[in-house]
Amino acid sequence: MLALFFILALFPLADRAFAYIGPGAGFAVLSSFFMLFVAFFLAIVNLISWPLRYLWKRARGKNAYKNAKVKRVIILGLDGLDPELTGGFMSQGELPNFKRLREQGHFAPLATTFPSISPVAWSSFQTGTNPGKHNIFDFLTPHWKSYLPELSSALIGNVARVIHFGKYEIPVGKPALKLLRRSVAFWNILADKGIFANILRVPITFPPEKSKALLLSAMCVPDIRGTQGSFTFYSTNQQRGQHTGGTQISVEKKNGAFCSYLPGPPNPMTKAHDQIRLSFKVSRNGKPGQAVLEIDRQKHPLELGKYTDWVKVTFRTGAGGKITGLCRFLLKQLEPEFEMYVTPINIDPEKPALPISTPAYYSTYLAKKMGPFATLGLAEDTWALNERVIDEKDFLQQTWDIHAERERMFFDAIENLDQGLLAIVFDATDRIQHTFIRYLHEDHPANRDREKVLYKDEIRNLYKKCDDLVGRTLEKMGDDTVLMVMSDHGFKPFKRGVNLNRWLYDNGYLVLQKDGNGGEWFEGVEWSQTKAYALGLAGIFINRKGREGKGIVAPEEAVRLKNEIAEKLETLRDPERAENAINKVYDSATVMNGPYVKNAPDLIVGYKPGYRASWASVTGTVMEDLFTDNTKAWGGDHCMDPKTVPGIFFCNKKIREGDLTIMDIAPTVLDLFGQKIPSYMDGKVMAMSIDEK
Amino acid sequence: MATAKIKLDKDLVEKAKKYAEVAGYASVEEFISHTLESAIMQLEEAGDAEELKEKLKGLGYIA
Repeated sequence: MLALFFILALFPLADRAFAYIGPGAGFAVLSSFFMLFVAFFLAIVNLISWPLRYLWKRARGKNAYKNAKVKRVIILGLDGLDPELTGGFMSQGELPNFKRLREQGHFAPLATTFPSISPVAWSSFQTGTNPGKHNIFDFLTPHWKSYLPELSSALIGNVARVIHFGKYEIPVGKPALKLLRRSVAFWNILADKGIFANILRVPITFPPEKSKALLLSAMCVPDIRGTQGSFTFYSTNQQRGQHTGGTQISVEKKNGAFCSYLPGPPNPMTKAHDQIRLSFKVSRNGKPGQAVLEIDRQKHPLELGKYTDWVKVTFRTGAGGKITGLCRFLLKQLEPEFEMYVTPINIDPEKPALPISTPAYYSTYLAKKMGPFATLGLAEDTWALNERVIDEKDFLQQTWDIHAERERMFFDAIENLDQGLLAIVFDATDRIQHTFIRYLHEDHPANRDREKVLYKDEIRNLYKKCDDLVGRTLEKMGDDTVLMVMSDHGFKPFKRGVNLNRWLYDNGYLVLQKDGNGGEWFEGVEWSQTKAYALGLAGIFINRKGREGKGIVAPEEAVRLKNEIAEKLETLRDPERAENAINKVYDSATVMNGPYVKNAPDLIVGYKPGYRASWASVTGTVMEDLFTDNTKAWGGDHCMDPKTVPGIFFCNKKIREGDLTIMDIAPTVLDLFGQKIPSYMDGKVMAMSIDEK
Repeated sequence: MATAKIKLDKDLVEKAKKYAEVAGYASVEEFISHTLESAIMQLEEAGDAEELKEKLKGLGYIA
């Protein structure tokens, strides 16, 4: 009995023993020998205890499903699929499978969250709560003391202790890693009750929580440099210069070959944290348009305009430490200038530098079974397209390749779904609409001096491909399955940017220091006289006493101030287009509730479709024109009035009545599996017609 | 995420349980964690500005 207790007590260690080394300053290195020893030991323990665990799981599993109304639930998430576009293409006879779902079951718009931003909406999807209860209000959140931006959903910190040794710094333990989304994901409730749950790439699941569900993380998983995805661009043409979202590196020509380096993560083992670099060489191989890449002791063929497969690159930290990543190379030009693009270096799912799945070995299992795949949160490189480092064709190729990887995972998961829940989110729908919706709007500023015809059917193609995916899902999923196809928000063009900080400055709510330049991240803002500021995509923060480090607005004044700003903003006219830019300004206190409302922007700005916070406003820049044309390839968006950008909801079962919101899905799935709905959930169980078992 | 245990007065925990539900928390643990974090936030300094900006690099929605 004592021996059994000892063995069971070791189970929790299985996860923790997983060694990782991660990006940024937060690295931890465990010696390979120790890891090998622990892995071997745990493998033995696992093997010995397997019969017992099998019996326990079987007994528990049978009981877990006793009140279930269905055998399986599949949630197919298509980020950003728009109800208006879907309805339009459906009425043109382009989407037979969606039409079949609508006729057989249900189709309706799915109300999104306030604000209508993916991390917010997917957090409400997971928890069945409004943002005031899950604490995610935007991609960014201000640090209350410094007003600097922080990632709202994940804390990736430093290791608590390091050992100094000359120029070296040996990290001890793991870096602080924490998911900042609060409340409870509904699949954890199911999994705790013994109901199988497989969750693939649902946004805001990084870092993965301790859970009995099988989960692969998504949005906000960093690359191995610790950023949200930085490309590298090589050119012998120095004039191409600086890029947002990536780095340009020069190339040296030596003996006819092009030589440079691939920048990796900062070295966690040195005090200076200097960047680890991998040198490489590209040589012509005598055939036109072809070359050979030599990197990390491997050779890879290159062909003009074609991506390589995923290339595994290993960055050595010294003392036996290694950080492996995956990237793809795209040779753009050999002459007259040499040009090559490299995708952000993704965390290698086979040997992840940071945990990206639950259990930790799940990503390794997937990589062994499916081959290498993109792990970066926002894996499709929209900035490389904005910066014209890659073109539309390259971007589409990259996006559809990632989509194909995920489809393989999805259909494999369906095959293995005997009973329980499978939820997956595909991102191509979001990224392609962001970057191609301009083709549907001739007057879009991004169309000026740009090709407007070649890709005008790309949005239609996207919806047709989604329809095909739905069709194959219906074929494979088997009987006694509830299928929900849903999106977190819709899409509209983003033609004009509004700089809210400029507006606040012009109206006296934001004050600059005498010599303040109003640059990025509130450079030169005089906080002791500033009453309100805008950061991120959602809206405006009041500089509150007791919340912000230099807050000046007392609670009673805040209420009056919010009303005053909202009233004025709702009449804001765009002089160039002679129209109002904002539909409505929502007071957070009225559109959300819960313990975290005080962390939300005080005002959610509901832009009229066509408008969004300007690129500069999002990053706290003040000195820019109040209105600017959006000329980037990223010409579509949804960070607008949430009422104008609902998502979609299709189901193969009839739903009797009622307006649906994204918060309704969690309680509905719990109900389908016969589980009690927690009182904190805001969503309602959908009135679904199910032939109960 | 690693966890640790701390001892709290039983009455306090009972009260916390009651008000966690009233406030809309999913659990008493979440309530207590949030309360402590809010207090710590008042004392904690921000991270290095350049490091913070670097971490956001590449996020499609921001330039």
